[in-house]
Amino acid sequence: MLSAPGIPAWKRRLRLILNNRALYLMIFLGFAFMIVFRYLPMGGLIIAFKKYSFRKGIFGSDWVGLKQFEFIFTQNPDFYNVVRNTLVINLLKLLFYFPAPIILALMINELRSVRLKRVIQTSVYLPHFVSWVVFGTIVIQFLSPTSGVVNQIIKAFGGEPIFFMQDSKYFWGIVVVSEIWKSAGWGTIMYLSALTSIDQEQYQAAKIDGANGLQMTLHISIPGISDTIVVLLLLQIGQLMDVGFEQIYVLARPIVYDVGDVLSTYIYRVGVGQAQFSMTAAIGLFQSFVGLTLVVLANAACKKLFDKNLW
Amino acid sequence: MQARSSRKLSLSYAIIVAILVAFAIVCIMPFWYVMVSSFSDPQLIKEGLFKLLPTGWSLEAYRVVFRDVRFFNGLRITVLRTVIGTALALSVQTMMAYALSKKIPGRRIFMKLVVVTILFNGGIIPTYLVVQSLYLVDTFFALILPMVFNPWNVVLLVSFFAAQPQSVSESAKLDGAGEFTIFLKLSVPLAVPAIATILLFIAVRHWNELMDGVIYINSSNLKPMQVYLIELVMRSTTNTMIEPTEQSLTAISIQTAVIFASCLPILAVYPFLQRFFVKGIMVGAVKG
Repeated sequence: MLSAPGIPAWKRRLRLILNNRALYLMIFLGFAFMIVFRYLPMGGLIIAFKKYSFRKGIFGSDWVGLKQFEFIFTQNPDFYNVVRNTLVINLLKLLFYFPAPIILALMINELRSVRLKRVIQTSVYLPHFVSWVVFGTIVIQFLSPTSGVVNQIIKAFGGEPIFFMQDSKYFWGIVVVSEIWKSAGWGTIMYLSALTSIDQEQYQAAKIDGANGLQMTLHISIPGISDTIVVLLLLQIGQLMDVGFEQIYVLARPIVYDVGDVLSTYIYRVGVGQAQFSMTAAIGLFQSFVGLTLVVLANAACKKLFDKNLW
Repeated sequence: MQARSSRKLSLSYAIIVAILVAFAIVCIMPFWYVMVSSFSDPQLIKEGLFKLLPTGWSLEAYRVVFRDVRFFNGLRITVLRTVIGTALALSVQTMMAYALSKKIPGRRIFMKLVVVTILFNGGIIPTYLVVQSLYLVDTFFALILPMVFNPWNVVLLVSFFAAQPQSVSESAKLDGAGEFTIFLKLSVPLAVPAIATILLFIAVRHWNELMDGVIYINSSNLKPMQVYLIELVMRSTTNTMIEPTEQSLTAISIQTAVIFASCLPILAVYPFLQRFFVKGIMVGAVKG
């Protein structure tokens, strides 16, 4: 049927498409939603080069060239501050948060009791399943100067209560620690699945040769998950311009905006809140562009290191 | 010598267990704290360290919360968006992924289009303007429709469907079964672990989503529970900043009561689903 002679290729292709029309129908709905809510906004980025007016709409608004970019780069001091905060928070997360799931996974992998393993996993995954509103509120309550646990301990040792949420110097630390607390457990799942696919015979052989646990971790487990580590690291680097909106929105009080305001919260507050659509769309385009550049660079690095694409 | 090295090993093992147990307790603690605080006497919370058991059993906080119309409104919107949104998103994503796992003309282009949306997006403002131009701002659909398509889920499901043996569906096709019948009767039942995992992801996302409620919704009767909760918190923290009065301490009780009530559905189903989704994502991760 496939190689019936005498029928031109395009006719065979057309028949193949017609025969599979049910499958195309099944793609259609998802495709339509993808075009409307993912691709139309990409097209909507042209308002970064326009002066958006609600009356004229995205396509009818007047072109202003690079004026918006000129403004954000030369006359908007907030912009540099927000970019700095975004980068610093992400770099701190890369430095302190990123290794946490790896270390946790390696430790969980050492557990010999299946039951203990399951209890630990069930517990550490749990914070991932509540919202940042819930988790952030709990963090704020723990750090409260009057009734919070942390300050109760400080007071018990004779210290003065600290206003954690109102003091800029604590904010970055709070963001990184709360991220580890909420997400490091769930982050182990990729590494644990990579660890299970390591050939168990390697461990047996190493044990016979007299290797101890640390040596096996260093020479078998870590090399076994190094691909996963690098891929996730590169993906993380691609996200360097993106700080999740919800964590910051919940944790940052206006009093710590000098260190807490990031691109997403700023774009929301000024863009949606003050209807400065074109200016914030220009910032968003800059953000997406840098993000895309980083992803492409990360992919090139991945290709060079492992001879395969990230995706 | 032998005995010594095994003792040393068991010491390092004990340290690992101790660290993991400590971290597990730290992860459970917030939930225990919320439960205990919400059932404690609001006046007693300020005294001493956080207690392991409720101090002065009280349902006062729940009484206040359950009298609040906005709480029930938020709960209603959140339940509705989770049920309707998850059903819609899951069926659309599953169908799309199934079809994309078949070797049909154009499959590679479709997959490329899906992956591009992972790498690049229009961002907050253009998406807002699209939602606005569709007259969806301040409607229930703004909480549902933008979340129907999700590239990560589609990619995960495609890799799962692609790993299914083709022989069964081939023979069913020869017997005259249509694609849709094969999908519903053969492929979906075989893919239950993966589909259940994606279902859980979508449902949790809907239940917890804050940003779309903040950005798209203005009417108070359409605000989901997460928005209700953050507004409650922001009101009371501005109070604490001014003066840490009795009233703001009661606010802690009310907040924890709302948090506990809003987490209860997740906490209730979580232990049962846990093993399921771990299996689902592991298989997906190994394949992808």
